[in-house]
Amino acid sequence: MGIKTIVEDNIDILVAGAGLGGTGTAYEARHWGRDKKIVIAEKANINRSGAVAQGLYAINCYMGTRWGENNPEDHVRYARIDLMGMVREDLLFDMARHVDSAVHKFEEWGLPLMRNEKTGAYQREGRWQIMIHGESYKPIVAEAATKNADKTYNRVMITHLLMDESGRNRVGGAIGFNVRTGNCHVFKSKTVVVGAGGASNIYKPRSVGEGAGRVWYAPWSSGSAYALMINAGAKMTQMENRIVLARFKDGYGPVGAYFLHLKTYTQNAYGEEYESKHFPALQKMVGKEYLDMEASHRTHRPIPTCLRNHAIIQEVAAGRGPIHMVTMHAFQDPHLEEVGWENFLGMTVGQAVLWAATDLDPKYQNPELTTSEPYVMGSHATGCGAWCSGPADVSPPEYQWGYNRMMSIEGLFGAGDAVGGTPHAFSSGSFTEGRISGKSACQYIDDGKAEGIVVSDSQIEKRKAEIFKPLETYQVGRNEIVAGTVSPSYLLPHPGLQRLQKIMDEYCGGVTVNYMTNDKLLNIGLQKLKIMEEDLEKVGAEDTHQLMRAWELKHRHRTSECVMQHTLFRKETRWPGYYYRGDAMKLDDKNWHCLTVSRRDPETGEYTLEKAPLYHLVGDMEDKALADMKKSEKKPAKKAAKAK
Amino acid sequence: MDFATTPLAAMAGSAGLQTYVVIMLALVAVMTIMDVIHKKSAKYFFEDSKKAEAKVKAGIAAGSKNCSVGFEDGRYREVSGGEKMGAAVGVVLNEVAVSGEFDSTKPLRRFVHILTMYGTILLSAATIIIAFSGTGETVSLAWNLGALMLFVGSWWFWFVYKVDVMSEGNSWTDIDLRRDMFSLSLMAVSTTALGWSIWGGAVWEILAMLAGISLFGGVYWSKFAHMFFKPFAAYDKRIKKLSGALDNLPHETRFDKSGAVVAQQRDRHSMELLKDAPMNMGLGIKREGPNHY
Amino acid sequence: MPTFVYMTRCDGCGYCVDICPSDIMHIDKKYRRAYNIEPSMCWECYSCVKACPHHAIDARGYADFAPLGHSVRTIRDEEAGTIAWRVTFRDGRVKNFLSPITTVPWGTGIPDFRNEPEPTEAERNSQLLSFEPKYIRMDDGDIATLKSQNLEMKEGVYY
Ligand SMILES: Cc1cc2nc3c(=O)[nH]c(=O)nc-3n(C[C@H](O)[C@H](O)[C@H](O)COP(=O)(O)OP(=O)(O)OC[C@H]3O[C@@H](n4cnc5c(N)ncnc54)[C@H](O)[C@@H]3O)c2cc1C
Ligand code: SF4
Ligand code: SF4
Repeated sequence: MGIKTIVEDNIDILVAGAGLGGTGTAYEARHWGRDKKIVIAEKANINRSGAVAQGLYAINCYMGTRWGENNPEDHVRYARIDLMGMVREDLLFDMARHVDSAVHKFEEWGLPLMRNEKTGAYQREGRWQIMIHGESYKPIVAEAATKNADKTYNRVMITHLLMDESGRNRVGGAIGFNVRTGNCHVFKSKTVVVGAGGASNIYKPRSVGEGAGRVWYAPWSSGSAYALMINAGAKMTQMENRIVLARFKDGYGPVGAYFLHLKTYTQNAYGEEYESKHFPALQKMVGKEYLDMEASHRTHRPIPTCLRNHAIIQEVAAGRGPIHMVTMHAFQDPHLEEVGWENFLGMTVGQAVLWAATDLDPKYQNPELTTSEPYVMGSHATGCGAWCSGPADVSPPEYQWGYNRMMSIEGLFGAGDAVGGTPHAFSSGSFTEGRISGKSACQYIDDGKAEGIVVSDSQIEKRKAEIFKPLETYQVGRNEIVAGTVSPSYLLPHPGLQRLQKIMDEYCGGVTVNYMTNDKLLNIGLQKLKIMEEDLEKVGAEDTHQLMRAWELKHRHRTSECVMQHTLFRKETRWPGYYYRGDAMKLDDKNWHCLTVSRRDPETGEYTLEKAPLYHLVGDMEDKALADMKKSEKKPAKKAAKAK
Repeated sequence: MDFATTPLAAMAGSAGLQTYVVIMLALVAVMTIMDVIHKKSAKYFFEDSKKAEAKVKAGIAAGSKNCSVGFEDGRYREVSGGEKMGAAVGVVLNEVAVSGEFDSTKPLRRFVHILTMYGTILLSAATIIIAFSGTGETVSLAWNLGALMLFVGSWWFWFVYKVDVMSEGNSWTDIDLRRDMFSLSLMAVSTTALGWSIWGGAVWEILAMLAGISLFGGVYWSKFAHMFFKPFAAYDKRIKKLSGALDNLPHETRFDKSGAVVAQQRDRHSMELLKDAPMNMGLGIKREGPNHY
Repeated sequence: MPTFVYMTRCDGCGYCVDICPSDIMHIDKKYRRAYNIEPSMCWECYSCVKACPHHAIDARGYADFAPLGHSVRTIRDEEAGTIAWRVTFRDGRVKNFLSPITTVPWGTGIPDFRNEPEPTEAERNSQLLSFEPKYIRMDDGDIATLKSQNLEMKEGVYY
């Protein structure tokens, strides 16, 4: 085929995907491994790649122990209730105890963190969020990474991990291709840190034309992190835990600053508060432990995000939509108006464009809010990702097998969206996880765990043939037809993506079915995905750009399959508002107060699913106000007492 | 190679050469006009400038009235006849004469462009002079020098600065006739001219003639026609800058024209963090050229 | 608002091609200028818009839901350390914004660890990351542990 193969050998730490997680790894690994060979392979240009390409207006995870604001365990408790109990509390605690040290460094590097004029502390947006002028967030962390890496390969898309063939379940590097030159790139490495980000566009989006690009998570978040790990046979956790977001309609402008800082609120089309009327029925579905309006009202305890979505979905279904965000009061204050707009210009320009295009000035008109299509990612308010080992000083035995953030494959680490069970990490937490993985990878190598790795040429050749097959398929098949995109023997990536989105939407609880699914639908969906996998052998690519789209599609497909398997396994409705299992509409703590863990056998393609125990951090960590409230209750219910 | 003579010397003032030159010029004119008519580009320019004028009028009338955040006062103004003349002269001196529209962060790319352009101009002008008023030492020198400049510029461009190579990561061996017709024609014209000049002979002569035909005859399909509206575009840009239409771009900055901090901006809430910041932060990601792959 | 490129402003320099995270800014074969090859994969992240030295790139709201006649334009000035925005509504109303993008000269605050003292063996074997514990609280405080926070990990149902 005449495709050049470029081999980078003797790498110690390979960063596969350098977003917020991967940049953290490249930076930190240099501290612990002064003479280690650190190489970055990044699908786009590291200066503007990943979910933070357009910048951020907030750092959503900052404890503020420096100002006595929160302790790490407070954050764990918050994430726990927001995710209806289903989190890896060891990993969360670990992330939270380190995260501030990353943020303080960011400030030193020039990231503009706003300060509260009165207190001198960082300007809080909410309890966990601080406000920033983060247009250049990504260029800044990218420089920290490239300065400390030996080499940065931009525009190299990793398609597969390479595995050690010496008989151990161990990683040996990664392989991919350059999106520009079309060269094949082989990275032989002792460790790999996967930071390739979450998955957008696996569910049919609400806008299907040009507007399909204006998805909430970046359209280039192709689920690569998940597919790389699943295909290698790594164990995954909580993949059913997709996220649906209540966002400004069509533009998906973020609402955090609006709710928390601008103090805007929602109402239905008739100007009524609507949440409370849906909560009694919802409480019956999930139990008072998870939806305790009084506790939430009187303390810091949040109402879980999914349950608030549920209220929106119900209200709209009852014919009282659209839901509006009441901005008209807040925007009368010129400073808050400026914050409201800069919030979008700083991280979701498209929303500003939409308002300009529709002459909607939130000062005079309340914009619409809606619930999005589902997304699969593990650093926002959901915890999809790989099953990783926790820190030695915190984790129970079931959660710990050597190195912090190492997966069930030796030498394979992760950060950000790639790591399962750690929601609410966001940008700063993902960077922190990257740092933790960087240090662990160095320790793993220093302990001699990476000796004797064998990656044969035949493994490389096999992958190489696979990688470039879509180009060949197209070129040969193209002779069959006169012109156009319709061919009986190959499928182009875009129509392929639309098929995937339709399957996920209709069978796995997408937006057009109001997030509803059941065991029957899921089984049909899995069958359709199986057949689609056969068609993916016939995906065609006209050029290297389409070759990238082809591999993104394959990665999205694998991610979807895993999501579908997990959704089928967890026979309950754990997160109403994210999705519903029509055949099990209740939250079921008796059978499902556990984490779900899956593994796909790379040889057979079969999945095995199991339950993993949930450990919680308990002790002197509860919200004081909540504890007092519980105490003062006349006859505390048994369960409430447990929650203290 | 003898700079004092050209292979055209033998044909100086001949009807054959004159016809060739006239045909080439006609080809350029006809194809450019065809392009303009076909694309309605003249109409576009006309309508666009009317739109911009209307915007300026409305902007002057409105002041900051339509502006609820920041300020618009003083953004728009009438551009006087004198200023328009000045702009036209500026275009000739800057954009036309020294390719001033090129991004200043990559001076070599601009140099290569200037080399190519002046090479083409020298070579063509000298050819016309030789065809119509005979040859001589100066004009021969110009002809050879032009060919040499064009040769260096066009090949250098091809291997290094062609955007497909620089940013798209294509190999320089990657040829797409439609895309590369113009660049290839320039390379062919200069190479064959030099070859003809050095070694002479009918083969080089024919090749040189053919290269000329592909350059001028391809105007409609290559991007040559586009050259002609570059000065118009540059003029348009200058006028819009003067009038404040500015393609709708923002006009607020931290510093005024003299480089002093604008108090109005300094005291703005969002700008708090830059109150005591250095005046110049240097370059960030723009430090590096556009070739990350 | 997928992006588009103004014919009269683009000079084919390739900065947008180089930066687009979606790999959709490419050079048109005929005009040798850039254009958006796949609007439905454009996040309107403005990375290309900010990178273009000629302000040749603009965005037009997604046809799915945005009427024509608006504009949101920006100038990102690295040397001044600012980004300016101008939002023009369909009906002509305008809003102007200006905010910082860095507070120190680019890159100056970022360490190159190769020039920093090596970590000790004790640090290696601890839970600490670089610049810790100092940077956690910017004082002498240590890293949080189960013990310091009076916590334990327990299996079971807790809310
Ligand atoms: C609209 C929006 C608003 C947000 N707001 C905030 C906020 O206000 N505050 C906050 O703290 N967080 C916010 N976040 C969340 C934050 O951006 C993410 O949590 C974080 O970026 C996740 O980091 P990551 O490293 O896992 O993924 P990413 O940062 O997305 O990085 C993934 C990287 O992998 C690369 N890659 C992908 N596939 C491959 C492959 N096959 N081969 C090689 N490289 C590959 C990508 O190009 C990218 O560089 C927001 C996110 C979005 C989308
Ligand atoms: S960056 Fe601007 S001028 Fe350069 S190629 Fe892209 S659109 Fe054209
Ligand atoms: S706005 Fe972003 S996604 Fe769209 S073309 Fe520009 S860089 Fe690419």
